[in-house]
Amino acid sequence: MQYFDIINLAYKTVISHKLRSILTALGMVIGIASVIVLTSIGRGVHAFVLTEFTQFGTNLIAVFPGKTTTLGLSGATISTVRPLSIADAISLGELENIIAALPLVQGNARIETGKKQRRTTVLGVGAAVPEIWKIKVARGRFLPKNEQANPRAFAVLGDKLAAQLFAKTSPLGQRIRIGNDRYRVLGVMEKKGQMMGFDMDDTVYIPTAKALEMFNRESVMEIDLLYNKNTQVKAIEKQISNLLQRRHGREDFSIITQDQMLKSMDSILNILTLAVAALGGISLLVGSVGILTIMTVAVSERISEIGLLRAVGAEKAMIFKLFLSEALVLSVIGGVIGIFLGIFIVQSIKFMVPGLPVQLAWGYICTAFIISLLIGVIAGVIPAIKAARLRPLEALRSE
Amino acid sequence: MMVRDTLSFSWTAIKTQPLRVILIVLAMSIGITSVTILTALGESARLYIVNEFQALGTNLIIVLPGRTETTGGQPPLFGATPRDLTLADANALYRSHHIAAIAPISVGAAPVSIRGLEREVTILGSTSALRRVRHLSLSKGHFLPEMDIDRTLSICVIGQTIKDELFARQQAVGQWLRINDRRFRVIGVLASEGQSIGVDFDDMVIVPVASAQALFNTQSLFRILVETKSKEGMYKAVDDIRELIKLRHEGEDDVTLITQDSVVNTFDEILVALTLTVASIASISLAVAGILVMNVMWVSVTQRTAEIGLLKALGATQRQILWLFLTEAAMVSIAGALSGLLLGKVILLILQVSYPEFPLYLPMWAVFSALAVALLTALIFGVLPARQAAKMNAVTALNKR
Repeated sequence: MQYFDIINLAYKTVISHKLRSILTALGMVIGIASVIVLTSIGRGVHAFVLTEFTQFGTNLIAVFPGKTTTLGLSGATISTVRPLSIADAISLGELENIIAALPLVQGNARIETGKKQRRTTVLGVGAAVPEIWKIKVARGRFLPKNEQANPRAFAVLGDKLAAQLFAKTSPLGQRIRIGNDRYRVLGVMEKKGQMMGFDMDDTVYIPTAKALEMFNRESVMEIDLLYNKNTQVKAIEKQISNLLQRRHGREDFSIITQDQMLKSMDSILNILTLAVAALGGISLLVGSVGILTIMTVAVSERISEIGLLRAVGAEKAMIFKLFLSEALVLSVIGGVIGIFLGIFIVQSIKFMVPGLPVQLAWGYICTAFIISLLIGVIAGVIPAIKAARLRPLEALRSE
Repeated sequence: MMVRDTLSFSWTAIKTQPLRVILIVLAMSIGITSVTILTALGESARLYIVNEFQALGTNLIIVLPGRTETTGGQPPLFGATPRDLTLADANALYRSHHIAAIAPISVGAAPVSIRGLEREVTILGSTSALRRVRHLSLSKGHFLPEMDIDRTLSICVIGQTIKDELFARQQAVGQWLRINDRRFRVIGVLASEGQSIGVDFDDMVIVPVASAQALFNTQSLFRILVETKSKEGMYKAVDDIRELIKLRHEGEDDVTLITQDSVVNTFDEILVALTLTVASIASISLAVAGILVMNVMWVSVTQRTAEIGLLKALGATQRQILWLFLTEAAMVSIAGALSGLLLGKVILLILQVSYPEFPLYLPMWAVFSALAVALLTALIFGVLPARQAAKMNAVTALNKR
């Protein structure tokens, strides 16, 4: 018999038991489809989080006060005896290959205009915000350069804050009161939306020195540095570390590069996707037990057929191949339909819930298909061996 | 037919096909095992976190400086504010009748040194009330004494890690250490607490709050922890605090209040949702197992057509035949559920032995719902084949042979 004949025969047997085959394949379909849907969601979340992180660009380094800062917060961010100052930021900005430096203080205060007021986030920053954080100015301009040490009282509003305080009138050039000081509005930022649970639009940007004064602090909370893309992170890190050690006399700061953050993020998210895939894989496992069961049933039902085939000259290997390909046909049909169903569901999710990030994970889809093939082989092998081992005479007599 | 007869009949039917039945049981138990393990993990994580939050204190209210009106955003957890929360603010809160204890907190980082050994450490400024509010225990010496809130005193209580690092194998209590440029005498060592939600009391030095403020040259407090007298008084205390602070801050409502309740509830809800999601994803596999039950039942109905015909000829009603097959399906599923539960329990035990610090707990409702779901699956997926069997015409069925 040719391979074509074997597959043809297997296909016909599968078709002849319609209901049984449909149900068996259905198990596989559900398994494969759930793996595909779940990994697509995992991959979507992965991509979403990474873009959230990389929207600032990848050539960023953050310097924090205090030595023990991990990804969380250390006490040093709140207050420290060894402050990180604006002067530190300025001299870091003059380093070779550092494009811009941004000393950052974050706080909370009341913003007032003539009649309206709103309590919200105040960011003490430098002129480099549009460049480092990749936010554009919608109207007016951002804080002026070269006056970090002794700045004038200018403020730039986030999109939502501007809308809340000024409604339809133009805020440019207007006076506002932040805390107890008066500022002049210089510009309005474009809409940026939520970022890591932090509403970038409901903020006001003022010069760092002004913010330190208002909050009565010595130390900035963080210095963000943008470096030249074409240089080595390690070298830059070393440069920064050397400079600050010279200025402070000891290593009382921590440096976190965007690279490190991205790498740890990436590995966490990959594990997450894998875990979700495994969750869906449970169904696949159950589905494969289903194929195994049905093939066992099929062999015991068709003993006389096997006897006949052997009697007319089919060899053991032939019977083995016949049953194996039957299992394969079942699993491949199930696999292919499952893949289509999965992709269909993913596309409908994309269409119906646009907020949920989904992305087809082709790597996992291919793996799922290969696994469905493997399942066919593994689930088919034991019953096929059993069928091949039957002795023709007894098999024929069994009915 | 009696119930007993039905059971024994189904049992005989199962016995004749051991391999097939074992496979169905296997499929069922994979599903049940994964559902139980995942529910147990989720439920244990929930209990763990809720316990952690409850261990923070009882009837706790946290007062943060600053307030945002951004809807849905997070509270201003660590930002600075133009008007600080001060020690005088903290003291004023005692005017509320519902408040039992107040622990003002000031936090910062500073180098701690002794004889050339130096370490950058989180310094926590507070009062004697902190011990009560946060349920801290000491391994040696005393905690901060009761004294005026605004008095500086050069004494400190150190965490276990600090003790091990700076006073390895020697008495720490009574010794002097240097925090930045000031000297403090160690009066107590905290018992090891381990990490509790991001706050590592082991790696911390606690000093009187006024001393910490002097050290960091600031007037402001990071937080005020308030313990209320009763759970019922909590919401009244929240109103009181808001009023008192408003009075002191020229009529401005510029603090954020977080009650322990609301934090615990939020986490509780999130984790319950998470557990349910994961468990329901795992229970897709139960549906697959159900389809398998249906499939095999169908096969066995076709194979036993003659038998059904005979039973009908002997006077069995449709209802009896239906129940005969349903019982078979149910028996197989329950066997699957039980073995799944057993396997799940074993795996949980192994996990528990390998990770003793994370208490695992399999809730009773999960056990019962696993059994119920398995039974339900069998009945739902078994009913179609069983009905087919029941509806067979006695004569044609008998003719089959």
